[in-house]
Amino acid sequence: MIDRTLRHARLIASLGRYTLAREMSFRGNYLVKLSVELLWLFILLAFYKTVFMKTSTVATWTEPQYLFFVGCHFALNGLIETLFMDGCVDFTELVRTGDLDFILLKPMDEQVLVTCRKIDWGTSLNVVMGGVVMALALYQMNWRFDPVRAVAFVVTFVCGTAIAYSFMLALTSFSVWLVRNQSLMEMWWLFSSLARYPREIFRSLAWAEPLSFLFTYILPFLLVVNVPANVMVRVFDPATVAFTLAATAASLWASRMFFRRALRSYRSASS
Amino acid sequence: MAIIEADGLSKTYRVFQKREGVLGALRGLFHREYKEVRAVDRVSFTIEPGEMVAFLGPNGAGKTTTLKMLSGLIDPSSGSASVLGFTPWKRDDAFRRRFALVMGQKNQLWWDLPASDSFMLHKEIYSIPEAQFQSTLDELTELLEVKHLTRQAVRELSLGERMKMELIAALLHQPSVLLLDEPTIGLDVVAQVRIQNCLREYHKRRGVTVILTSHYMRDVEALCDRVLVITRGKLVYDGLLSGIHDRFAGMKLVRLEFFESVPEGLERYGEISRIEGPVVDLKVDRDRVAEALGAILDGHAVADLSVQDPPLEQVIARVFEEGRSDHEAA
Ligand SMILES: Nc1ncnc2c1ncn2[C@@H]1O[C@H](COP(=O)(O)OP(=O)(O)O)[C@@H](O)[C@H]1O
Ligand SMILES: [Mg+2]
Repeated sequence: MIDRTLRHARLIASLGRYTLAREMSFRGNYLVKLSVELLWLFILLAFYKTVFMKTSTVATWTEPQYLFFVGCHFALNGLIETLFMDGCVDFTELVRTGDLDFILLKPMDEQVLVTCRKIDWGTSLNVVMGGVVMALALYQMNWRFDPVRAVAFVVTFVCGTAIAYSFMLALTSFSVWLVRNQSLMEMWWLFSSLARYPREIFRSLAWAEPLSFLFTYILPFLLVVNVPANVMVRVFDPATVAFTLAATAASLWASRMFFRRALRSYRSASS
Repeated sequence: MAIIEADGLSKTYRVFQKREGVLGALRGLFHREYKEVRAVDRVSFTIEPGEMVAFLGPNGAGKTTTLKMLSGLIDPSSGSASVLGFTPWKRDDAFRRRFALVMGQKNQLWWDLPASDSFMLHKEIYSIPEAQFQSTLDELTELLEVKHLTRQAVRELSLGERMKMELIAALLHQPSVLLLDEPTIGLDVVAQVRIQNCLREYHKRRGVTVILTSHYMRDVEALCDRVLVITRGKLVYDGLLSGIHDRFAGMKLVRLEFFESVPEGLERYGEISRIEGPVVDLKVDRDRVAEALGAILDGHAVADLSVQDPPLEQVIARVFEEGRSDHEAA
């Protein structure tokens, strides 16, 4: 078991090295990508700055708290896109051409190979940028170091990443049946927009309440960024953390089952 | 103990029938028509360790589909199989470490990178010890004469060179079972022969069990004693290559050379395919050869005679042809 995990970790590391080497040979592309991401972050920040010029809280979040939330979202999204996005998007093509064959032949976990195959270094700096924004927010609110909160933050941040990953894996799996799956990116975008706002936004409107329920307990998107941000800079509620852990385990399990089911329907394009 | 066993292995694909035109596509949205394709139909066979067996059949016969089931890429619709004691489609890591599949029409090497980079990745995936990796790689690059090409981007290699690299990648982890799907497709004769030689030599050295599909008789004749013939998903022959004649060729070729001109009335014994001077070629039913020769030798002065099987290529072509016409009629 440990040996198997190590083997997978080593493989992902070598694949990461290869993609980095390739990325370096297309440096121009890399710089363009980076500036787009930076621009995007600045637009986000400028937007919130404007909102907070009119009001001191948005859905009970103060300005520095909200800044932390934005940073958290940016880092988490960046992490997902760096590690898993390219591999998942590529999966459709692998199914269509039948090249998935070569992944299924390897003595490795299919899910790991499919989702972690292509590390996209172009978005890796988003994680750093998100981190800087979070640090800035903590500084603005004079956050005093609290080891319990810090640990809980790391744990729930990982949970959030895992929930988002599960959702991406489930979307990816659909391509086995659809064979063409351009909607993957659109669905992912929708999800990522849902996760971009504090849950309290849904609470303030009566008709949005069912949505909040749906996206907390059934498809737990609203736990992804909300819980780590809350744990760190607002209320630290152990029950929510426990629920998040359970939801993470359930999401990972369900998406894995779904992926396996999808593989059994793989027909391997004729050759 | 058999190393590969298939028992009633079947695969049925449901294929969506596209209608023509926009209107057809719209109707297709509401009412989909499917056609069932029996790609492989109750195929059973066993293969012993160290055998090298050919899987022979026309295009669309179900060869690739069978290999895909044996390598665990797709689940069968019914039937069972065991390879190295494993059920292939459960895809145990232990199973996947011990076999390899090479497909002539697909390539797994990184297109933009030299083959050696892909080899390194395989070393990682299969945790091949450095010393073993080096010695296997040296052995294979030497056998295939591509030592000087491993540092060149794969997309800059010729088809034949690329196929050789694919073969090396598949053999690096020293599999005990090797499945080859049309490994020589599209190659010129020189490259074909080179790959045949490599396979034969490797088979001799390592005793690896091989199934090879091909529709080139030349591959099969060069490498395999035993053949499985499959047409329309059904196994129609399993036995020695030489036995194909007995099973499918209804006749033998008899060549007679007379002292004088060819006598009249030979049609009695079989079909005359050629007369040239005192020499005649006759196609005679297998079971009547002895009888016919006896009668001819009794009645005429014969200078020389030979009895031959028709060329295998022709026999197989006929088997394929029959398979195809039935297929179209069905
Ligand atoms: N992925 C697939 N989906 C639908 N039909 C398929 C698929 N793969 C193969 N077939 C059909 O199954 C039959 C056998 O194909 P295949 O095994 O590739 O034949 P061979 O390798 O002997 O040429 C063909 O009629 C082919 O159209
Ligand atoms: Mg084929």
